Amino acid sequence: MKKPSTHDQEEREFGEEVDSLWRIVFSPLVWVFHFLACYIVTAIICAKMPAGDTLAGLRWFILGITLTSLVGIAAIGWRSWKQWGFVDDGVKVQDLPTEEHRHEFLAHASFLLSIVSFIGVCYVAVPAIFLDSCR
Amino acid sequence: MSLRDDANGCYPPTEAMLDEPVDEQWQDNSKRRLRDVWKTPAGWRYWSAVNNSEVGKWYCLTAFFFMMCAGVLALAIRVQLAVPENDFLSAGRFNQFFTMHGSAMMFLFAVPLFEAISILILPGMLGARDMPFPRLSAFGFWCFVIGGVFVLGSVLFDAAPDSGWFMYPPLAIESEGIGSDIWLLGLSFIEIASIAAAVELIVGVLKCRPPGMRINLMPLYAWYVLVVGGMILFAFPPLIAGDLLFELQRSFDWPFFDPDRGGDPMLWQHLFWIFGHPEVYIIFLPSIAIAAMVVPTVARRPIVGYSWIVLSAVGTGFLSFGLWVHHMFTTGLPALSLGFFSAASEAVVIPTGIQLFAFVATLMVGRVTLNVPMLFIAGALAIFTAGGLTGVMLALAPFNWQVHDTYFIVAHLHYTLFGGMIFPVLAGIYYFYPVFTKKVLSPRLGKWSFWLLFTGFNITFLPMHLTGLLGMPRRVYTYQTGLGWDWLNLISTVGSFILAAGFLLFAWDLLRPKSREPDTARNPWNAGTLEWTHDVPEEAWGIRSIPYIRSRYPLWDQEKLVERIDAGRFYLADAAEGKRETLVTSVLDAKPIQCMRVTGPAWITLIAALFTGGAFIFPTFHIYTPAVICAVFAGACILYWLWTSTAPIPEQDRKPVGLGLSLPIYASGPESAGWWGVWITMLGDATAFISLVFGFFFYWTTKTDFPPVGSEHANLLFMLLGGAVLLGAWALTLYARDSNTKGHVARARKALVLGIIASFTGMALVIWSVRSTGMDPQAHVYPAIIHALLLWLTAHVAVGVIMQGYCLAGSLFGKLTPRYDADLQNICLFWHFLGFTIVVCVLVMGIFPRWL
Amino acid sequence: MTTKPSSTHKLLTAALVLPLSGCDGLQSVLQPAGKEAAEIATLFHVLLVGAVVLWILVNGIFFYVTRLNPRPLSRRAAETLIIGGGILFPTIVLGILLAWSMSLMSSQRELGNAPVSVSVTGEQWWWRVQYRREDGSLLASANELRLPAGERTEVTLTSNKVIHSFWVPALAGKMDMFPGRVTRLALQPETTGTYRGQCAEFCGTSHALMAFQVVVMEPNDFERWLDDQAAPAKEPEEALALEGRQVFLREGCGACNTVRGTPAAGTTGPDLTHVGGRTTLGAGILPTTPDAFTRWIQHTESIKPDVYMPSYEHLEQSVLEALGHYLKGLS
Ligand code: HEM
Ligand SMILES: [Cu+2]
Ligand SMILES: [Cu+2]
Repeated sequence: MKKPSTHDQEEREFGEEVDSLWRIVFSPLVWVFHFLACYIVTAIICAKMPAGDTLAGLRWFILGITLTSLVGIAAIGWRSWKQWGFVDDGVKVQDLPTEEHRHEFLAHASFLLSIVSFIGVCYVAVPAIFLDSCR
Repeated sequence: MSLRDDANGCYPPTEAMLDEPVDEQWQDNSKRRLRDVWKTPAGWRYWSAVNNSEVGKWYCLTAFFFMMCAGVLALAIRVQLAVPENDFLSAGRFNQFFTMHGSAMMFLFAVPLFEAISILILPGMLGARDMPFPRLSAFGFWCFVIGGVFVLGSVLFDAAPDSGWFMYPPLAIESEGIGSDIWLLGLSFIEIASIAAAVELIVGVLKCRPPGMRINLMPLYAWYVLVVGGMILFAFPPLIAGDLLFELQRSFDWPFFDPDRGGDPMLWQHLFWIFGHPEVYIIFLPSIAIAAMVVPTVARRPIVGYSWIVLSAVGTGFLSFGLWVHHMFTTGLPALSLGFFSAASEAVVIPTGIQLFAFVATLMVGRVTLNVPMLFIAGALAIFTAGGLTGVMLALAPFNWQVHDTYFIVAHLHYTLFGGMIFPVLAGIYYFYPVFTKKVLSPRLGKWSFWLLFTGFNITFLPMHLTGLLGMPRRVYTYQTGLGWDWLNLISTVGSFILAAGFLLFAWDLLRPKSREPDTARNPWNAGTLEWTHDVPEEAWGIRSIPYIRSRYPLWDQEKLVERIDAGRFYLADAAEGKRETLVTSVLDAKPIQCMRVTGPAWITLIAALFTGGAFIFPTFHIYTPAVICAVFAGACILYWLWTSTAPIPEQDRKPVGLGLSLPIYASGPESAGWWGVWITMLGDATAFISLVFGFFFYWTTKTDFPPVGSEHANLLFMLLGGAVLLGAWALTLYARDSNTKGHVARARKALVLGIIASFTGMALVIWSVRSTGMDPQAHVYPAIIHALLLWLTAHVAVGVIMQGYCLAGSLFGKLTPRYDADLQNICLFWHFLGFTIVVCVLVMGIFPRWL
Repeated sequence: MTTKPSSTHKLLTAALVLPLSGCDGLQSVLQPAGKEAAEIATLFHVLLVGAVVLWILVNGIFFYVTRLNPRPLSRRAAETLIIGGGILFPTIVLGILLAWSMSLMSSQRELGNAPVSVSVTGEQWWWRVQYRREDGSLLASANELRLPAGERTEVTLTSNKVIHSFWVPALAGKMDMFPGRVTRLALQPETTGTYRGQCAEFCGTSHALMAFQVVVMEPNDFERWLDDQAAPAKEPEEALALEGRQVFLREGCGACNTVRGTPAAGTTGPDLTHVGGRTTLGAGILPTTPDAFTRWIQHTESIKPDVYMPSYEHLEQSVLEALGHYLKGLS
């Protein structure tokens, strides 16, 4: 097989980096989808459902997407954690003008955002524990 | 390693290259040339300047002027409320005053100030010569001035809006006179200017950083600008969509918010607060960004937790879009829905807290020097934490049910606005003032005004928490005695005058003549970021040469940086062709990719703004013909301006920019700043469109009969046919681009001509499919929203046609060639978004209503 | 906007001041008299203590590191601060608060179960009130709400033209009133007494003058009161009052206001059948003395700017007095 030219390789690396720039918003995006799903489905069910019914189905739904979202965020967080490589080199401050630091910085930010998004998703699910009517 | 090293020559520069001395003779000559190119026009021509340092200054001062006006209104409010049953202001005037106070503070001061300050200092921080689209900043500024004067001026004629700064229908729609129209049109106009500024700032941060300033080295301010710019793009369009619906109801009686004809006032509340809550963070984050610049300087060390702060900025940006219903906790929505928003509102506290703790941590590990900016930061922290803590309380729905719309809210919102905006901004002004003037503001006056502001503020607003808890609603022009509110209100009024005195003292310090005072050093606080290399007012070029950056705090870490910049050792130290230029770099690693020509002084921006103003202002008085004429002229001005100054074909393909690097002068597609500008603008545009579509589905969810049974629908056949033809126009545009790239110019022109024909035909078919039926937009909200979508689509297709025509003309007159095809690339991007709009419109107008 | 000579205004406003003075706490969140308000007050007190402590803590740390001890501290301490103060602590505390408020919310939205339910409609700028009794009979009233103590009364809310908000701080949180939409609330007052409510959503020129009183009564008294209210208006006995009734009918007051038992059956304005027995006039802004009635009728537009009732300034003083007398007598 032909060895990839340096140009191709650079292009690929560059693509990866752009991905990791996007990746910092993945976890918050999961939060957004979870939030919107909870809100929209509730709004529709409460508007269209005959008054007085309980919301068992809706609460199961919320549990389901909450778990899915949490798994998703955890996966993104894990990936970023690996990319950050804190256990390998212990670098917490990525302030050098190198590709490596830029690479790890994006991962670090993405990891931290995963933590906040994780908490956010948990919070948004709390109301469904306590409320079971459309009142 | 760069992708294009081979093509562009040497990058990055080696230490040896940087060490090489610069020829003295050349230094002088190039300096002279550069100075000539960047000269600020003198005399009356001064007002044609477009340079960021001038426009930014005007912008800031205008915003401050509007703030002072709004502050005077607040004082009048306070006088009226000083004692019960007062008759200093009549009810009607009071209502105008509080509406105008809120609207002006938010729309004419707090949001524009972010843009103003960023336009002023961002290029400096990024070592750029100017913003990427200087004329756009100038245009935005003039729009702001015209709109602001118009809106605020209405107070003088007793014609101001009087329904509160969130303009809830039906009240605001029923409101007599032109007040509501002034609000809607005047502020829409300014919102559009804000979006333009946001686009420019985002492009500035992404594409105009100095070589080597990788994304992990950006000043935190730039991160905030990026986040806030993004937020503006998604937050303002829903309000613009809302404004459109609102004005359609006011002018043409399309019943979007009229419950008798299927409308719903709640839709406005949703659209307003989807904008309104993020707006609060749009105001808060940039001010925090200023703190993020001041704190490291004061602590004399790099910020602790850079990544944490980036996380919190981005996180806050996202979460802030899930909070809007906390302004609607008392509207009777299902408790479960409220719960989600309550939860998100609590969650947003976490990134905000991280932000503040990162600052405290920096101060902890640093060696703090106290100065006036730091004093203001300390005041900001004290006030903001209080506002934040009441925010935590308010986010809990049951507590909110009690104090919503009372003076408790008035207290909370001023605590967050003063702590999260006024005080940090004042800190920023004290801090950055020397960058632009080479003078420092008086520390003595600064301390005085700080203490006046701080005590005045607390005396005014701390008691208001209690006033609210004792039951006083906000927006009341009078109150009865005996409810325990009298003394609290009197204290607040006294406090407000102390506060006002603080502002006056500050204004005096800012504006008093200082020519007799000695100039300060260039970097009096010993800060670490690039804006401190500025040499204004002597030199208007921004930076002598654009440096290669290797640190977050280059002035601290990079030896001999300033000398080399001043010697013209770095990039673009010369202006050999007599053109204004700045560098475009890559998004992640800031590798230089283009030497971009930016525009110089021009009147066309001012003229375009005047006509645009006319197009918005005449309809307020229900005068439509001049409005249309103005709109046409505004369009013509903008086309003229684009034609004459954007992406001109350069006299040479590439040029040496210094340090052995040679860069292309022309770029098109994703390489160019313009393409990013279009992309980002269209993101905002698509958001507004989605908000309209949201309106459709909102009616469907909340109404049992939407669309009403037996109502007429658009003609499906014509709709599908029209949609298909419009998509054909899209395909033809893309085909034109590809043919042009391949050198088949004639084929490209033909495709553009066919594209224009297809656009007209397709649009005619779609219009026919709606208008040939008996759908009457005044009869019910269903035909009304269909018509609104139709209007949106028609306007966009019209723009699409103009663009096709523009490129066709460009091709015919040699402005657009296979090599120089930026315009065609950009309009294709527009047409991609238009394609999306077409598909969604056909679905929503033709298919869904039958199917629901 | 109409501008009025300010001397009349002064005079009139003096009248507004008198009746309700000396009743601090009438409209206070901090002096609850109902179940929901009490729960929220407890929540608030906890929040207040927490907020004060946290405020002192954060600003204390700040003061310490900038003023008391500006020497550099260890980086580790700084990082602990970010992680502990920025993530761990708030996550736990906010989580607990969230759970607490959610459970409160669920109980506060419980339906009412008292035999009588009330519906209130927001008008510019007054309150249309209607009681529905167990037997289905309806009873019109205005600008005052009576409730049985210890029972949970369902209140349905709507509005005529613009948005208002129904709020009695001593009893419960507020709820908005929309045209074309019905919202609800349940009130469970615990102690008898009179509490003040006020419109909390800006609703136009005289939004500030849209208040009302809630009178909480023993359930038996309440039933009796309802029976009285169901009766048509009292026949006037005195000559002055009789004349007042004539004027009332002659001047066309009945086109907008109902007085059951007379030809006056208008519904644009409030039902006046028992207006004399209410605690306030003009939606919580005047006392119900004959004098106040007179003033209200004569100067309506300056007492309540932009009001939808004309001022009867042209009527002679004696005629106005007769009207005032008649209306006061409608108890
Ligand atoms: C001189 C300083 C200020 C004073 C004395 C003051 C006073 C007040 C008062 C008394 C109100 C309540 C009016 C009412 O409910 O009837 C109010 C409302 C408001 N203020 Fe201020 N204010 C000041 C500065 C600011 C600033 C700097 C901002 C924003 C950056 C601001 C934003 C607002 C907003 C948005 C409202 C709500 C208006 C509405 O209800 O429609 N204020 N202010
Ligand atoms: Cu908010
Ligand atoms: Cu009101």
